[in-house]
Amino acid sequence: MIAALALAAVPAGAGLAASIEPAGETVSLYLNVEKNGGLVTGLTHRNFRLYQDGKAQPFRLEKPEEPASIALLVEYSRASGYYYEDIEAAMLGFLQHAPEGHWYALATFAHELDVQVDFTQQIGAVTQGFSQLGMPSWSEIDTYDAVYEMLDKMGRLPGRRILVIVGSGLDTFSEHTFDQVKAKMESENVTVFVAGIGSLFRGMYEPYLETSPRLTFLQAQSFLQTLASKSGGFAWFPNQVSAFPSVLQGIMQSVATQYRLVYDTNVRGSGKFHKIKVEAFQIVNDKREDFKVLVREGWR
Amino acid sequence: MQSFYLRTPVALLCCELLLLNISGCGGHRVTLPTAEPVVRTSPLEQELRKSYLTLFEIASTLSYSDSQIQAMQEYLKQAQDYCVGRFESVSSDYQRSVDGAQQSLKKSKISEVDRHSLHCKIQDARALKSQADVIAQHAIPVAYDNKQAKLELIQKWPAQAKEIQASIADGTYKNRRWGDVEDIGFREIESNQKDDIKTGQEAIRDLKRSGLMPKELEDKAIVDYVSEVAKKLATNSDLQVPLQVTVLNSKEINAFALPGGFVFVERGILEAADDESQLAGVIAHEMSHVVARHGHKLMTKATIASIVYQAAQIAAVIFTGGVASIGAYYALQYGFYGLGLTLSLTLLGVSREYEQQADQLGIQYSWKAGYDPSGYIRFFDKMATREGYVNGASWFRSHPPFYQRMVESEREMDYLGKRSSAVVNTAEFKTMKEALAKVTATAETESKQKPSLLGPEQGCPAPSKLVYEPDQPIETICSSPKLAPAASTPGK
Repeated sequence: MIAALALAAVPAGAGLAASIEPAGETVSLYLNVEKNGGLVTGLTHRNFRLYQDGKAQPFRLEKPEEPASIALLVEYSRASGYYYEDIEAAMLGFLQHAPEGHWYALATFAHELDVQVDFTQQIGAVTQGFSQLGMPSWSEIDTYDAVYEMLDKMGRLPGRRILVIVGSGLDTFSEHTFDQVKAKMESENVTVFVAGIGSLFRGMYEPYLETSPRLTFLQAQSFLQTLASKSGGFAWFPNQVSAFPSVLQGIMQSVATQYRLVYDTNVRGSGKFHKIKVEAFQIVNDKREDFKVLVREGWR
Repeated sequence: MQSFYLRTPVALLCCELLLLNISGCGGHRVTLPTAEPVVRTSPLEQELRKSYLTLFEIASTLSYSDSQIQAMQEYLKQAQDYCVGRFESVSSDYQRSVDGAQQSLKKSKISEVDRHSLHCKIQDARALKSQADVIAQHAIPVAYDNKQAKLELIQKWPAQAKEIQASIADGTYKNRRWGDVEDIGFREIESNQKDDIKTGQEAIRDLKRSGLMPKELEDKAIVDYVSEVAKKLATNSDLQVPLQVTVLNSKEINAFALPGGFVFVERGILEAADDESQLAGVIAHEMSHVVARHGHKLMTKATIASIVYQAAQIAAVIFTGGVASIGAYYALQYGFYGLGLTLSLTLLGVSREYEQQADQLGIQYSWKAGYDPSGYIRFFDKMATREGYVNGASWFRSHPPFYQRMVESEREMDYLGKRSSAVVNTAEFKTMKEALAKVTATAETESKQKPSLLGPEQGCPAPSKLVYEPDQPIETICSSPKLAPAASTPGK
């Protein structure tokens, strides 16, 4: 779906720092670079600029940690039965496109979060775990609680952490609020990708819905989109079941082509939100050409 | 959509089976005795702690009456039920503890300190429940199966040993099935072995595609060594298809064969084997399944996948640092994979008849290749007697300790006769072991770095564990499951 676009290293203006003395806390930023919808690979330190709270920061470009810890969080409620084919297609896409070598885990949620398969390098164990799920016990879809708990669990893991949500974004009975989940995401360094389910179902019935349920669906989608974009990932909501394997392929390609920018800061742990901006560009014929950067909006 | 609901009856059926038969779908279960059976510290009970090989040697010198044997059989049955019941009861207690703590968490007003304390309590109880489940559902049945097999050996072997000697004396032993050992390589055990190659290739492809095949071991020296041993056996066997040996980097103590000449040896086997003749015995046994085309007859592709999948799960739960450290990981995983662990042996393609056939042929091939054929029984013995009930459990999942198998193996060795020049061990085996130690160390380091979503609650007291020793007699842990806090560091 997304063609990787390899670029040769391009001479740029002087880097912000040639070498950095480690001091204080270290922050890792995981990001993807895009050009016209395609992923850009092969960039070097000189192709990036990093700003924290509007101030340029020296940084290092390091190889993202491997293996990464990739957790699938799958909505699995009785109510999800209406768009179960979406879920199944997403899991098939995972099996087809998840590269070997990373750690994979599977958690499902309805009213509560259930870790079905803890991290394993056997991809088949995850899909087998999914195929052996019984009938969901609950009709609730407590997305906020599940995402909050997963972010909490993943935040304790070392290295690169990826959360892939296969869900509708609907929330029926969570204790946590939208804002609490967003705040949690800002404090945990987890990249979130979303394979949004239920779009086809929603498309079929939306014309007949009142304003309020329509807003509920919109809010659900918006929650997942916000979560993904703020974390440096992306959210896709396919209208066709057959598109889910491609979505999972796109997610795995993004994981494979992430850059890692590392910088030292002395403000870490202050609890205040620190805004991040990363620029990626190349110089062509003395002219700067900017790329789109997917990176977390900030951290606290 | 449809499949979502189709799974329901299967899940419900499984739940029902588990409720009716907690010890497993394939397990044996009677009404649990509430009182502890009187512990028999008789000499007969002491004999059951000896190895199979020792019992073969001394059985004719023992003089136990049928009533003593019968009484012991009854005692073992009761003791097993009692023991399983004890640990199931312990497991239920821990589950109640988890449930209680989870209920407390739902209270509207709860301080952060109390919440943390409840998290620690749940974590600890889950870990203990998982340990109790492993012991109840897996370790105890295996340990008692072995005791029953040894008891039968004491009772029946002396008479059978006499028969064997008589048939050797009058030469009738040569009329036994596959008694033409001088013609190994020129006889036909089963025709058309090559027809299985495609099935085997498809099975491997399916396993790889489903992501269930463990990683291959990459150390060339080790792989070459195992291949050499297998090649030596193959050239002294009735194998008519090319042999392809793959060494898998898995802690599982197991080896398996797929139709068409594909033999898989897992790292755990190499670690567990004490000498080359033991390893050769295991490989020869698996090779014999190919020769006799057992896979063609019994294994569907689905069951092959089940074997590997089940093996991987058992390896994950039993060999990840031992039972005591499985913790919450297993507590959740076991419930999830419970059905997989209780698949019947028939479904796994393991039958008494086929195992006995593979035992006989495997012993013949080891012998023909110049190995000491008793290596196979010594390995079996080690799993049953020395390694203890936990480490041996995985092996016995696919190699059940039937009395008849042990007797028939011993019988075949007696017929073949002892060779003074038989190879027990080699320098290459020792070299392989040295290389293996590095691979194992690397694998263990990687295993410790494994991330977990079930990681411990920070700042809890050191987790408790059910105390056992790997070689501890099973009955001694049943009378009073002991609980002890871990000695050193508190949980993270």
